[in-house]
Amino acid sequence: MRRSSEPFYWSLFSAGGVITALLAPVLIIVVGFLVPGNQVAFHRLHEIFTNPVGRLVVFGLAFFTFFFSAHRLRHTLAEVGLKRFARPITLACNLAALAGTIWAGVVAFT
Amino acid sequence: MTYPRQTSKTWFMTSWPYRIFMLRELSGVFLAGYTILLVLLVANVHDGANAFTDFRNTLRSPALIVFNAVAFLFALLHTVTWFQAMPKVLPLRYGREHRLALALVGVNYLILLALTAVVLVIVLV
Amino acid sequence: MTVAATTAPTVTLEVARYHPERDERPTFERYDVPNRSEWVVLDALNYLKDHVDGTLSYRWSCRMGICGSCGIMLNGVPKLACAAFLRDYLPGPIRVEPLANFPIERDLITALDDFLEKLPEIKPWIVRSHPQPVEEGEYRQTPEELADFKQYSLCINCMLCYAACPVYQNDGDFLGPAVLALAQRYNHDSRDQGQGERQRRIWLDDATWDCTFVGECSVVCPKAVDPAGAIQQAKVESTMNWYRSLLPRFRRKRAGETM
Repeated sequence: MRRSSEPFYWSLFSAGGVITALLAPVLIIVVGFLVPGNQVAFHRLHEIFTNPVGRLVVFGLAFFTFFFSAHRLRHTLAEVGLKRFARPITLACNLAALAGTIWAGVVAFT
Repeated sequence: MTYPRQTSKTWFMTSWPYRIFMLRELSGVFLAGYTILLVLLVANVHDGANAFTDFRNTLRSPALIVFNAVAFLFALLHTVTWFQAMPKVLPLRYGREHRLALALVGVNYLILLALTAVVLVIVLV
Repeated sequence: MTVAATTAPTVTLEVARYHPERDERPTFERYDVPNRSEWVVLDALNYLKDHVDGTLSYRWSCRMGICGSCGIMLNGVPKLACAAFLRDYLPGPIRVEPLANFPIERDLITALDDFLEKLPEIKPWIVRSHPQPVEEGEYRQTPEELADFKQYSLCINCMLCYAACPVYQNDGDFLGPAVLALAQRYNHDSRDQGQGERQRRIWLDDATWDCTFVGECSVVCPKAVDPAGAIQQAKVESTMNWYRSLLPRFRRKRAGETM
C-alpha cells in the first residue's frame, strides 16, 4: 500500500484546531456582535487590516481554519456512510479549502 | 452460518458521547462560516468606510445574528473538546498522566483567556 | 434506585438468542434471575445456563476481568460480564447482547476472526535487528523505559474497544484500537528494534489514519489502556516522520527518519 499523505493534512488540521480553539470564540464575538453593535471603530479595523502583520494574521487564520474544517468535514461524511465516496469528497473539500485560502490571500494582501 | 455484523448510518444518535462527537465534528462547518464573514469584513474595510457601514448593517440581520450566536456555541464546544483531547496526543508516562494532563488543560485555558483579552484590547482600544 | 428495586427478589434479563441452525436473525428472550446484590451479570448468565436454559451459549473464563473472554453489550454499552454488577442496572430489565460490530456465531458468542487476522500484521513480539547472544545476558530495562509502554501492555484483547468504535463499525478494514495500541506497546519498548516494520503497516490509511478520535474506545476499556491516546501518538509520530522524509537524503537519517 502506498505511503499515506494524511500526515500533511493532519498537521494543517492540528494547527487549525489549536488556532481556532484559542481565537475563534473571541473573533466570533468581535465579528458577530461587537462590529454590528457599533463597538469597533472603522479606522481601527482599517489600521489592523492594512498593517502587514494584520494582513498576515488574517490570511493565516483563514488558511488554517479552512483546512481544519475541510479535514473534519470529509472525515465526518465518511463516517455517516459515504465512505465509498471518500476520494471525491476529499478532493472537493480540499479544493474548497484551497479556494477559500486563495480568496483570503487576495483579500488580505490587496 | 454466522449472523453478519450490523452497521448503521445513524450510529451517532445511539448515545450521548456519540452525539457530542458528531456536534464536535459539525463545529468545523460553523468555524469555516465565521471565517468567511471575517474575510468579508476585511474586504469591506479595504473598500472604504461606506462599504464597511453596509457590511456592518448586513451583520445586523437576524439571520447572521443567529448564525453567529450558534457559531459561538460551536466554537466553545470545539475549544473545550480540543483542550480535553490535547493531553492524549502527547506521550505521557504510565502513572504520571493525570497531573500533567490537568496542568496542560489549565495552561490552555490561561492562554485562551490571555489571547481573548489581547484581541479585545487591540480591537476596542 | 428505589428500595423496592434493590430488594426485589428477581431482576429481568432480555438476552439475545441466536441458533444459526434454526434462526434467521437474533431474537430476545426474557428471563428472571435472582436479584443478588453481590452478583455480576456473568453470575446471572451462569444461573440461567445451570437452572433455566442449558442451551444458552456465551464465553467466559477467569470471571475476574483479566482473560478478556466475556465481552458483551449491556443496555447498548460494551462491558465485561464479570465486571458488571446486577445492582448497578436495577430495576432492569437489562438488555444483554453479543459484542457489537462482530458477526454472531451463536447466542452471545461472536466471531473474532477479523481481530485475530489483523493482530499478526503488526508483529506483536519483540523484533530485533541485532539479536543479543545469550552469553551477553538478559535485556536490561529501567523503570522509566518500562513506563513508556506499560500501559499499552495491559490490553487483555477483550474487544470492547472495537464494539465502541464507530469507525470500525462502518469500515471493517480499520485495524482498530486494540491492534494499534499493541503496535505501540512494542514500538515504545526499548528492547524492540522493529519500529520501521510496524510503522510501514500502521501509518497507512486503514490503520492510524482511519481513526477520527471519537475516544469511546478508551472510555470502555476495562484496563485503562487508552488506545485512543496510543493512536493519536502514532499520528504525531507518523507526521514527524513524514516531514523528516522531505529533508534531503543525507539529513534524513540524522533526523531519525524511520522509513
